[in-house]
Amino acid sequence: MTGAQPCFHCGEPVPPGADFAVDIDGIRQPMCCPGCSAVASLIAGSGMGGFYRQRTAYSEKPASDAPAATPDEYLLYDDPALRAQYCQRENEHSEYASLLLGGVTCAACTWLIEQTLQREAGLLDAQVNLQQQRLSVRYDPQQLQPSRLFAVLESLGYRVRPFQASAQRAQLEQEYRADLRRVAVAGIGMMQVGMFGIALHAGDLQGIAQEYQTLLRSVSLLVASFVVAYSARPFFVTAWRHLRQGALVMDLPVALAIGLAFVASVWATFTGSGEVYFDSVVMFTFFLLLGRFFEKRVRRRHAIACQDAESHLPLAVLVQQQDGRWLRQSRRQLQSGDTVRVRAGEIIAIDGTVVTGNSAVREDTFNGEHVPRTIEPGDSVFAGTLNLEGSIDLRVDQLYENSRLAALQNSVDRAQRAKPALARMADRLSAWFVGAILIITAVTGVVWSQIAPDQVLWICLAVLVVSCPCALALATPAALTAAASALRAQGIIVHGENAIEALAHAQRLVFDKTGTLTQGSLQLESVNPCAAGESEADLIALATALQQHSNHPIASAFNGDAVAGLSAPRYVTGAGVEAVWRGARYRMGSERFCRELAPGLPPPPDEELYWVALCAGDRPLAWFGLFDPLRPEAATVVVAAREAGLSLALLTGDSSAAGRRLGSQLGFDFVATGLSPEDKMQQVRRWQEAGEVVMAVGDGLNDAPLLSLADASFAVASATDLARAQADFVVDDDNLHAVTRSLAKARQCVGVIRQNFIWALSYNGLGIPLAALGYIPPWAAALGMSLSSLIVVMNSLRLNRVQR
Amino acid sequence: MESLYLLIPVALVFCVIVIRLLIWAIDSGQYEDLDKEASRILMDEEQNHRKKEDADDR
Repeated sequence: MTGAQPCFHCGEPVPPGADFAVDIDGIRQPMCCPGCSAVASLIAGSGMGGFYRQRTAYSEKPASDAPAATPDEYLLYDDPALRAQYCQRENEHSEYASLLLGGVTCAACTWLIEQTLQREAGLLDAQVNLQQQRLSVRYDPQQLQPSRLFAVLESLGYRVRPFQASAQRAQLEQEYRADLRRVAVAGIGMMQVGMFGIALHAGDLQGIAQEYQTLLRSVSLLVASFVVAYSARPFFVTAWRHLRQGALVMDLPVALAIGLAFVASVWATFTGSGEVYFDSVVMFTFFLLLGRFFEKRVRRRHAIACQDAESHLPLAVLVQQQDGRWLRQSRRQLQSGDTVRVRAGEIIAIDGTVVTGNSAVREDTFNGEHVPRTIEPGDSVFAGTLNLEGSIDLRVDQLYENSRLAALQNSVDRAQRAKPALARMADRLSAWFVGAILIITAVTGVVWSQIAPDQVLWICLAVLVVSCPCALALATPAALTAAASALRAQGIIVHGENAIEALAHAQRLVFDKTGTLTQGSLQLESVNPCAAGESEADLIALATALQQHSNHPIASAFNGDAVAGLSAPRYVTGAGVEAVWRGARYRMGSERFCRELAPGLPPPPDEELYWVALCAGDRPLAWFGLFDPLRPEAATVVVAAREAGLSLALLTGDSSAAGRRLGSQLGFDFVATGLSPEDKMQQVRRWQEAGEVVMAVGDGLNDAPLLSLADASFAVASATDLARAQADFVVDDDNLHAVTRSLAKARQCVGVIRQNFIWALSYNGLGIPLAALGYIPPWAAALGMSLSSLIVVMNSLRLNRVQR
Repeated sequence: MESLYLLIPVALVFCVIVIRLLIWAIDSGQYEDLDKEASRILMDEEQNHRKKEDADDR
């Protein structure tokens, strides 16, 4: 969609046929979605009322439809069995339903949805949760049926599905709340303890009566012990769990620092000697928890938008009853052996065999190809593929559980589990850091117990506080968060936790072909006239006129000027188009179809293109060669990737020679064609087992297992939902340069992490010996710790700067 | 300085009240969606109006 206008508000290409344009300051601006146009109008200050009057034109329309106009498909949602899964009856006049929304992009979308639903009679309350893409709605079942909600929401252009609570999702929700509670308690505790801390520090400088010092220390102790017991608990739990397995993780020094500083402060409070560190303990806890909370929040958003292959299938299918009538019924009620009708343009819901009808199916789900396969009675078709041309009747062979699509979903799940865990730099480092600190502290303790036994505790503590792993613990998350937000500003959304580090270490870059390296739509490449006398332009104009009566994907390649005056057009499914022009019968389509009319048609040229013939009566006119063009930026991206030291591989489901030609043309190191999604996974696993770090770029359903398995993966803009859900990076603008840009940013990020570590370690290298020798007073240790963390954060923020 | 013996407990009581309030707010789902709330102030008008009508209906 390189030619499409960008949306004035969100910058995504405006889908063809979308008409959400809004007058902003007298200029008509293109809009890609209702939500965007809503926010843009608000921001432009056109006035709330004015905007709303404008919008009601769209929003009111569904309300004026008669209920009978509701497609029967929606009525299925009223089916008591299905309804029990997502609705809860509260009382006779109130029912609560939970729906999952697709296409909610901004806050204004939630506003639009809520506003529109409020206008429905019988609606009690509607709340959209933007972060979780979920709608909670309460309504009076006497006046309003769920099917109506579905109809209204879909007319607004959103995808809606019943939300089914799962144990995993409920757990995520629990965790989110628990985290938030911990952050809140730590934050409020920090303010309190900080307040007492200032009084205590002031007392250190100006002198303070023992009585008040003890009072302030005791109340600090009270608040801090609550914070440590409640908020800091996860650090202790994680550290202990890993310690038992013999692993030293970053949480261990964190837990040690918090625990020891706290215990020492308690000791100091009760004995009235030494120093208290309650303020440092609580502050440290709060900042670490806050950092982790933000990190987790980003991840949670994508974990909740659960996407699986089954959600692509239609909910209802037309099934032939025993008395021969056709009734729409739920897909889940299908039995093996049923006869199902699939109309043109519908997604096939089950694996089956064609009984009657001819058509063509697009099977990009499995092979990534956009060129359809022609089918006739006796052929097998698969769930999740698109029936393009004509209505067909199928006999159900396999239910969803045993379908090819379910197998694909299973391999996605398997890939997710099999994904090798790359050790994070921080975890590797922390192992020996922790060891070193413990040894140094022990040695210090032993030595000082010989020199000055009464000083041992305080000097050991100074060593631990100075070595406070705050900076080390922040080094990685601060840099990763900064890099992720820099990428976000460039239209790349980062999902994966470890993906940025993995990306920086990637050695092999795997591309899918159709839709990823190529544009995924056919274009006219060459015209081979069969006889002299006709100009190319005339032939193309004639072909264009004929193709206007076709709904085959090749028709989109013919969009120029067309000749006028065609009559009696007829579209023959799986064959081509026929029409009469200036008294002659013209045919355009497959070789067989044209040869019926013109037996003298020569075979198609040898070139590796998708060939379509044209003939006038018994006179063959031309062969049209079509192909799927490369994205304009593909070549430069490939060159840049090779310069970055990656070996390149092309794995495609397409079995034609086009893949190999493309591979050698662009200089790929490895090309494999005709691969099933499982084959792609096998190949990636072989590389991973050989120790390579693999990054992958793909778009289709068939790439989902590959994206899921790769150490770092990208889904390009037009990718299917399942591919997006599996990818670590989702590229928003339709441009492959995002891949190389992310790679550069990831490498820069790892560089910054390394600098952070070097800084934190050298600070420790200097501070620890000084503390061990007893030269560092506690206030200097605390100051040094804060400064050290600040420098790490500032250094990480450099990643946010836009690169030239 | 004896006032500290009164003021500090008062501060602690406030602290407990604030924490309780916040935890109540979190548990009642008010912090579920931090993305939407930021822009909510820009687009509230008619909804409030309508809510009031709902309340009247009940």
